Amino acid sequence: AAANTTMAAQERPLRRRSRAPSAGGRSHEPEVPLATRPSERPLGRKFLELPPLGGTPASPSCCAGGLASRPLAREPLPWSQHPCPWHYLHLSGSHASLAPTCFRAYLHRSRGGSTPDMAAVMTDSNPRAARASGTYTYTSRPRALPCQRRRYRDSLLQPAEEPSHYGNIMYDRRVIRGNTYALPTGQVPGQPDPLELQRQQQARRKALARKRAQEQLRPRTPEPVEGRKHVDVQTELYLEEIADRIVEVDMECQTDAFLNRPPTPLFIPAKTGKDVSTQILEGELFDFDLEVKPMLEVLLGKTIEQALLEVMEEEELANLRARQYVYEEIRNAELAEVQRLEEQERRHQEEKERRKQQQGEIVRKHHETSQKISARAFAQRYLADLIPAVFDSLRESGYFYDPIERDIEIGFLPWLMNEVEKTMEHSMVGRTVLDMLIREVVERRLNTYEHKDAQQSLKLEDGFSGPETMAEPSPTISQTQRPFLDRDYPQRTPHNTEKFMEEGEFL
Amino acid sequence: MPLPQTVFCAQQIHIPPELPDILKQFTKAAIRTQPADVLQWSAGYFSALSRGDPLPVKDRIEMPVATQKTDTGLTQGLLKVLHKQCSHKEYVELADLEKKWKNLCLPVEKFRAILQLDPCEDKIEWIKFLALGCSTLGGSLITAMKNACEILTADPEGGPARIPFKSFAYIYQYLSGLDPELPAADTESYLATLKEKSESKKNGMIGLSDLFIPKRTI
Repeated sequence: AAANTTMAAQERPLRRRSRAPSAGGRSHEPEVPLATRPSERPLGRKFLELPPLGGTPASPSCCAGGLASRPLAREPLPWSQHPCPWHYLHLSGSHASLAPTCFRAYLHRSRGGSTPDMAAVMTDSNPRAARASGTYTYTSRPRALPCQRRRYRDSLLQPAEEPSHYGNIMYDRRVIRGNTYALPTGQVPGQPDPLELQRQQQARRKALARKRAQEQLRPRTPEPVEGRKHVDVQTELYLEEIADRIVEVDMECQTDAFLNRPPTPLFIPAKTGKDVSTQILEGELFDFDLEVKPMLEVLLGKTIEQALLEVMEEEELANLRARQYVYEEIRNAELAEVQRLEEQERRHQEEKERRKQQQGEIVRKHHETSQKISARAFAQRYLADLIPAVFDSLRESGYFYDPIERDIEIGFLPWLMNEVEKTMEHSMVGRTVLDMLIREVVERRLNTYEHKDAQQSLKLEDGFSGPETMAEPSPTISQTQRPFLDRDYPQRTPHNTEKFMEEGEFL
Repeated sequence: MPLPQTVFCAQQIHIPPELPDILKQFTKAAIRTQPADVLQWSAGYFSALSRGDPLPVKDRIEMPVATQKTDTGLTQGLLKVLHKQCSHKEYVELADLEKKWKNLCLPVEKFRAILQLDPCEDKIEWIKFLALGCSTLGGSLITAMKNACEILTADPEGGPARIPFKSFAYIYQYLSGLDPELPAADTESYLATLKEKSESKKNGMIGLSDLFIPKRTI
């Protein structure tokens, strides 16, 4: 611990010195860490500027290269378990106050007062970020852009400046792009390993150093000629001590804040001139008539002019109005006239219509009447011989009859016919009976003839008297002969019918 | 207000504020009326103004056609002025009327002549005087009636100058009564026809259009 303290004591002034230039540039880094830093191990502290320098093997001699010499072989600090999302180089914890994690660290240190604030913000925001990955803020003090164009010849004495990259926030790798609600776990994928990054940085630094060295090797002035030697020569008469420091003292001045400027006093010029008096009598200054004349002129002139104008205006308006009324009157009169004419016209039209209608009626009636007449005439002619025709047809169909004739026809003649028929039937019947008788007789005779063939004359004689004396019913065989005989009989039978009727009755 | 004791400059002269207005009205009236004698007329104007009577001002400009010698100078406009002044009373005093007549710068002889047509003592009915005045304006009875209509009407100028039939009849009868040539029967018949016309219009007014027969007949 003692060794640590001594080492720390030794380191302290060194550190202080190293911090001094940066303290001017950064106000975020108060002397708090220095003041509050007891000799305790800074491991547990959040402030990054508390490096356990006691254990550093880095040479305290060179501040400028200090950082460069500080190896990466520090163990990562405890809070690297909660990595800040913006800093993927966690070696920063081991650094001193100038603990920027970017590769420009040495540059910041070398520039002394002009440290950009990015580093400050980074370190500052680191604890904040480490605390809780909260809001991200970024501020950067305005700084002059390095002029890209070289104004002067490359000065061999001047060390080469690394071209500083203009910081564009869009292309700043420290700015998280993408979602901010999910922290990237561990490394941001795609980014190189921090160790590798550091190695790269170191390599770059080495390259730069080499370049510088080479520049130094570059000849500035030509080599001296053989046998000669370059010597620095003083050309001034007197030696001047160049290194003189001007004594500077800071003085402050402050005006009293609350005093107002007192008002300026009024300027009253001194009185110059003489006082003189005079006496004015009545009527000298002012003559009424004279004074009032212009007034009167204006008054009356204006009055008259105005009156005239107004009268003209009114007159014009009244004229217009009067003309309007006259016009209206005329128009009304004309309208009345027109109406009257229209009425008349209308009446005429109506009258005409009525007359026409009447005439139409008359014509129609006339026409109708003539038609009726012609129709009547035609009908008459057509039906003229209707009655005779009717009567004729009726007569023909027998509607008009003589009742006696009809009676005779209906009553008498049928009876007569019936009687005649009866009579004829009687005769017919008689004849038939006779025929039967005859037939019978003939058949008997035939039978007897057949029995007596010898008696041929008897047969013949009996044949003739047969029909008269005997009635032979011969219904079947001699029926065919009867109609012939019957025809012959109607003349002879009427006087025989009575006889046969009687005979028939006997049979 | 009287001038202060000492007046130093023109700005102190005070003009009464009503003065310009009075002057303007007076000027306008004068321009419109065009009196032959401005002074006389002005006296009449201001006395009427002070009394609060109707002013002897014509309503419309009427260029004076008269000369003193040949013509009476009585115009319809002047009669209108008189009518405006006197119509509120039924009877007017002759003296008053004469003064008004004079204020209008009309010749007094004419006044007497008119009065002679219908003599009366102290007062005269205004309507009658008006009728007489109208008759002197125009030649015939009809023109007199026309003038009377135009003077008495309440219709705007140029419009149908209508007056109630009663007044018309009264005037007509009075004038025709004065004229000895016109038979009474004619008057009656004419009035009767006019009365029919007025009643047919349902407002009882006779206008100028009724006085004249339309020229065109079918």
